[in-house]
Amino acid sequence: MAEGTMTGDTRTDTESAPAAGADAIARGLASYVRSVYEPTLLTRLRREGWKTFVDTPMPTRKAEEWRYTDLSTLEPESYVPVTCEGERLPVERLPEPVRAAMESDRDRAGVMVRHNGCLEHLRLDSALEAKGVVYAPLEEVADHRPDLLERFLFRSDVAPMEQKLWGLHAALLSGGYFLYVPAGVDVEHPVHAFRYLDQEGSVVSTHSLIVAEAGARVTCIDEYVSPDLERESLSLNGVEIFGADGATVSYLAVQQYGRGVKHFSMQHSNTGRDSTLNGFNVTLGADLARADVTSHLEGEGARSEMLALWFGDRNQHFDHHTLQHHEAPSAHSDLLYKGALTARSSSVFRGLIRVAEGAQLTDAYQTNRNLLLSPNASAVTLPNLEIGADDVRCSHGASVGQVDETMLFYLMSRGLTRKKAERLLVFGFFEEVLERIPGEGVRSRIRSSIETKIQAR
Amino acid sequence: MPQNETIRDLGLDEYKYSFVTDEKPFFKAQKGLSEEVVRQISAHKGEPEWMLEFRLKALEIFYAKPLPDWGGDVASLDLNDIYYYLKPQDHMERSWDDVPQEIKQTFERLGIPEAERKILAGVGAQFESEMVYHSLKEEWTEQGIIFESIEDGLKLYPEIFREYFATVVPPQDNKFAALNSAVWSGGSFVYIPKGVNVDIPLQAYFRVNSEQMGQFERTLIICEEGAQAHYIEGCTAPSYTSDSFHSGVIEIIVKAGARFRYTTIQNWSHNMYNLVTQRAMVHENANMEWVDGNLGSKLTMKYPSCYLVGEGAHGEILSIAYASDGQHQDTGGKVIHAAPRTTSQIVSKSISKGTGRSSYRGLCKVYEGAVGSKSNVECDALLLDETSRTDTYPYIEIDENMSSIGHEASVSKVGEEQLFYLMSRGLSEQEAMTMVVRGFIEPIAKELPLEYAIELNRLIELEMEGSVG
Repeated sequence: MAEGTMTGDTRTDTESAPAAGADAIARGLASYVRSVYEPTLLTRLRREGWKTFVDTPMPTRKAEEWRYTDLSTLEPESYVPVTCEGERLPVERLPEPVRAAMESDRDRAGVMVRHNGCLEHLRLDSALEAKGVVYAPLEEVADHRPDLLERFLFRSDVAPMEQKLWGLHAALLSGGYFLYVPAGVDVEHPVHAFRYLDQEGSVVSTHSLIVAEAGARVTCIDEYVSPDLERESLSLNGVEIFGADGATVSYLAVQQYGRGVKHFSMQHSNTGRDSTLNGFNVTLGADLARADVTSHLEGEGARSEMLALWFGDRNQHFDHHTLQHHEAPSAHSDLLYKGALTARSSSVFRGLIRVAEGAQLTDAYQTNRNLLLSPNASAVTLPNLEIGADDVRCSHGASVGQVDETMLFYLMSRGLTRKKAERLLVFGFFEEVLERIPGEGVRSRIRSSIETKIQAR
Repeated sequence: MPQNETIRDLGLDEYKYSFVTDEKPFFKAQKGLSEEVVRQISAHKGEPEWMLEFRLKALEIFYAKPLPDWGGDVASLDLNDIYYYLKPQDHMERSWDDVPQEIKQTFERLGIPEAERKILAGVGAQFESEMVYHSLKEEWTEQGIIFESIEDGLKLYPEIFREYFATVVPPQDNKFAALNSAVWSGGSFVYIPKGVNVDIPLQAYFRVNSEQMGQFERTLIICEEGAQAHYIEGCTAPSYTSDSFHSGVIEIIVKAGARFRYTTIQNWSHNMYNLVTQRAMVHENANMEWVDGNLGSKLTMKYPSCYLVGEGAHGEILSIAYASDGQHQDTGGKVIHAAPRTTSQIVSKSISKGTGRSSYRGLCKVYEGAVGSKSNVECDALLLDETSRTDTYPYIEIDENMSSIGHEASVSKVGEEQLFYLMSRGLSEQEAMTMVVRGFIEPIAKELPLEYAIELNRLIELEMEGSVG
């Protein structure tokens, strides 16, 4: 069942491949599609994605959504799609950072490790399995439960400006998982996926599909790690979370890629009635990291907490793009994104609260705080509101500033060096989001990564 | 409480000054825009060659630039269905007595109080594209203050004019600035010499009175070092059935240590497209304030800007918008911090009623090197109906870490408790509602000169009439 190890399977329908034409990208993708074994459902979705990609023009900086991140230099055809061959690695031969991370948290309901998109390790608590919980690669689910996959995979409402990359992500899909929690099942410990990338000049495209049925509860963590790469690699990622009535899902993405990686993550959570979907993004790595995070509040009384923290150094560019889409009445959303920037790094936050007509009694908040720690760092923040109902409580706030001189002075007067005082204040700045990270082990690893970044500056 | 019922008719939706004066134009250009029209305008005004060249170049830029794809809906605006120039009289009026009776009537019916006219030190009343009435107190002339129509500014003070004209808003800035640069007509030219303090506001009251006539007013104001002045522009136009168009450009230079305030109360009729570029260049330790009220028009897109280019410069923008049925007020402000220790503040209040939509759109930009800059933006929106809509689109771009920038916005509706409390104190529902709305705009109303504050309050009151019951 290892993904993509067979080629030329009869089920791969090569004849219906879309016309490649003269388009180099299309040709590259066509050969890729033909080379990989997979169930017809995935092949079809891949082709649809590919068509979207080819038919959609590359967004330019004239588009509001891409005003501060230049996509025009992105050449998908310059990356080699990852392929999987050979045996799975035993746990002790997994890359060191992954093993270290795996050991940091003992209590896990499930673990999955992918190395350059290939599945190396998969474990799910057998008690949960008995209760009907599914934690499996997409291609396996496509074989056994195509009906389930058909219902959810690539079913999120994706904004026009996200279509290009969403299509590319689907076309190049190189592995993803499906986490399914049946009604009423409470998964106590986190389900944890590690994605390790060390193939130079490659493109990896991962997907996380999380479905929690009515009243179910689950916490899910995705971690992205790579060493510094010489030749740039591209990481595409899609996340779809579906929470049925009364479900509770906490999702955490921790991105700690090394140099030489561009990472694009597109996350959609779809909330049912009275469900709670919390999303958390930690962005520390890669040269360019863009996250499009959308909360579709579709059910009455739905709740969504959206949190993020980032720490940029060298010439990193982070772009966080959020949408709190209140489509149903009496829903609640609360966003808090905090970022610190040093060296020549830059960040963009563009968030929108959209309250549809009739979504009365909406309660929506949005806050973005930025800390500039060096003269060459820069931050852009665009907190937007579009309110179409009158009986709502909506507010947003944004700020950009430096470490408070008075506070620094106070700490230094107590005997701390400037550096130590600044370190304390940076952690103080992050604390309100840090403390809400689910999982002790992952939380302390994030702390130490921030620590390393502070020390290095 | 049947709230939605009671406030249904609250808004400023019915245009109160809907009347038409017979127009007797002296010269009327043909509809639509062409190089020929631009040449005619320039020739008619007897302009120097450089201005004609400037206009023609601007026209090319206008053709080259695409329509904005953000903000309000300008797609239904037919730029070929507009008169680009009209001239009601061929000479400037000298005194009030010479102003034609019908124009006086128009002012009368607008409700400009007699007292106000007397107080007005200099009135530049713009009737159809050009200044028809213009008087200036003698003492001001002695002080060297220039307050002329823009055309006379060009004729009489060509050197000052050419030095500053289009330096703050070049034609390349945006499509409508380019259009204005090509066909501008009417507006004021103001020059306040060094150290002069003008304590009575300079006022220009003007109106557009011809159907489908575009008004491309252009105002150039130079406030020399240490000078102080306040300029007021208010406008109101009769209601017509087909769309009208107004696209002005206001350029202000506030030199070191000077203080300048520019106040606009805009109450165009509800078929007007109002697309205006207002910008001030603010130098060392100078202070610029925009007070911007937008009540009328079908669509207004206007973002008064302060370019803080000198150390210690301060910019302030107070903005109020009222959008009722069918109206879209897309307003806000821009502050650009390009020098150290510059400070700015934007306060925006908007009210949306019926199907009205008000959008705050703003920019706060801090360039690298603008150390110690501070900016604060506050936006509050009040929604009166289920169908009303409000948006907030702030852009905050910070390239300097030694700066402090904040933005806060909130959206609310008139609280039932507020109404209940006021009514329990004996106020009628309508009075209570009026009071809440007035309280909401108070921070801006109090910044207006008395007569304007009265006018604004009167307008709000008029709109509240019959809103309950």
